[in-house]
Amino acid sequence: MSDRILKTADAIREATDQVMAKDPSVYVIGLGVPQGAGGTTNGLKQKYPDRILDTPTSEAALTGLAVGSAIAGLHPIVHHDRVEFSLLAADQIFTQAAKWNYMFGGGGPVPIIFRIVIGRQWGNGPQHSQALYSLFGSVPGLKVVVPSSPAMAKGLLIAAARDKNPVVMLESRWLYGIKEEVSEAMYQVPLDKAQVVQQGSDITVVGYGDALYTARQALELLGEHKKRVELIDLVSINPIDHATIHASVQKTGRLLTVDTTNGAFSVGSEVISKAAQSRVGFVDAPRGLAAPDVPCPTPPSLSEFWYPTKVTIANAILEMLGLPRIDLQLPFEELHLPPTTTL
Amino acid sequence: MLLLRVAEEELVQLYLDEKLFSMVHFYVGQEAVGVGVCSQLNPDDKVLSTHRSHGHYLAKGGDLKRMVCELLGRSNGAARGKGGSMHMIDKSVNFVGSTPLLGSAVPLAAGVAFEEKYNKKGGVAVGFMGDGASEEGVVYETYNLAALYELPLLLVIENNTWSVNSNINERRGKKYDIATIAKGFGLPYLRADGNDFNDVSTKAAELLKGIRAGGGPAVLECLVYRHMAHSTPLMDDKQGLRREDTLERRLERDSMKLMRAELVKAGSTEAEIKDLEEATRREVREAIEFAKASPYPQQEEMFTDVFYE
Repeated sequence: MSDRILKTADAIREATDQVMAKDPSVYVIGLGVPQGAGGTTNGLKQKYPDRILDTPTSEAALTGLAVGSAIAGLHPIVHHDRVEFSLLAADQIFTQAAKWNYMFGGGGPVPIIFRIVIGRQWGNGPQHSQALYSLFGSVPGLKVVVPSSPAMAKGLLIAAARDKNPVVMLESRWLYGIKEEVSEAMYQVPLDKAQVVQQGSDITVVGYGDALYTARQALELLGEHKKRVELIDLVSINPIDHATIHASVQKTGRLLTVDTTNGAFSVGSEVISKAAQSRVGFVDAPRGLAAPDVPCPTPPSLSEFWYPTKVTIANAILEMLGLPRIDLQLPFEELHLPPTTTL
Repeated sequence: MLLLRVAEEELVQLYLDEKLFSMVHFYVGQEAVGVGVCSQLNPDDKVLSTHRSHGHYLAKGGDLKRMVCELLGRSNGAARGKGGSMHMIDKSVNFVGSTPLLGSAVPLAAGVAFEEKYNKKGGVAVGFMGDGASEEGVVYETYNLAALYELPLLLVIENNTWSVNSNINERRGKKYDIATIAKGFGLPYLRADGNDFNDVSTKAAELLKGIRAGGGPAVLECLVYRHMAHSTPLMDDKQGLRREDTLERRLERDSMKLMRAELVKAGSTEAEIKDLEEATRREVREAIEFAKASPYPQQEEMFTDVFYE
């Protein structure tokens, strides 16, 4: 096995190390970042002692300080270990950083990266695993990306460090352990482009983050029909690359979106809405697969039914293609433990 | 101070004439604070401000014409007409910006101070806030964070006792004491008479000396009068709110009245002061005429500047 097979967390760590080595204005701030932040900053405190900063448990102040320092010319990476904690700094993210250049008529760049973790994992429950994608996606002035693989996480973080605007990277902790060959080079993944993961003829499936990962697994259940699916990774949810989606649906005539969060006001709803308004030539009603509109429950006996699985995604595809459903019971490990798959 | 007062006096009329379509929070009465503090700053020092921003902007040397243009929503305003009264900026004089969400500019000012220290520039950042904003949680968080990082930061609380229409006595426990709070965070703290330029500037200088010597952040509280209502250039005495800070008392302790007395004591004649007032008023009226003749932003400009290119 190549020694360049990295986990997502290691790929993020490598990107952080590389941008810090290249740009002295980059520093990392957040509660516990010197201790590793889920592996994404391991060892960096030793290498950059003055630029990996622990903080008081004061999300609003530490985020505001980072935004202020970005206005003054630095390029901070702010780490919030749960999206819920970032809400304590909502004023600084949504109202200060996102509006600064606009409200001052070109007041100047706010180069800042918000690395915010979506805490999907067994036992985390209603207040530790919210996936508030659409909240961030709906605010003008933020660029919002959601990596679905180690190599993508690295390239997006490097691109974010080159950008002069606030970039939010919503990281599904569910994917921290998946592995992939990652180039050692300092490469960038564009912050505003969807990626066609697989070309196909009869149905367009759109996902992002852990939903994209699960959709990818679902394709393996489709046998000969796999090749009929065009799989699109949104990569960015602010802006959404509608042109890529519409071009695909124009070809396939069918659209399925997958969200690993509540369906109401979801990214999938936005994708379907824009596609419907663009006269892309549907042959069947578009469909959105998402979690039910209730909080994510804590016990595995309930959360099993909350997240879309590769089986529910595969069955939605099969139904839309007029094919019989499959019946497959997933083992406990696959339903509730974060994957360690190599892509 | 005179420019600050005269500018807003003239702007009142524009507001009443419905020429000024921006929410306004007038600084009338509080001039000695902005001018007193900024008189002790170097050009390289940075200032961040609040919704009540005109005074701080002018005191730091912000361009008058660009301010008036901004208030009238013209494309050559400080924020190219997109911000209005609450969003003043003039980077050429290191007025970093003003932002109206209470307390929001305080951690931003800490961030600007952080950059000064990070890049070893040697400057100081000043964050102004009102007594209302000083009650926000993020401000208490910033006291600790700024102390932890030993930032070159001066936080100025302009205590006019009003948060919109809520008086300080309705908002704080009987034993609330900002001096004790500052001490608890380990921050040097001084209280000044915010009507008195000399008292403000002397105490600001003392705190700034400690900050520049590497002593970390400090807090200056200035007791002032807000002459007008929260967000219109009108008096709100008739609403029966001003039980303690009556108009009579405010005028008795008015910052401009005290400054005028100082000038006379220092040898200025009434005629000289009057000439200065008239020259200032002419300058402001010129700026207003300039603004009235300036263009509005084009419709396409709604879509520019969402991101920095």
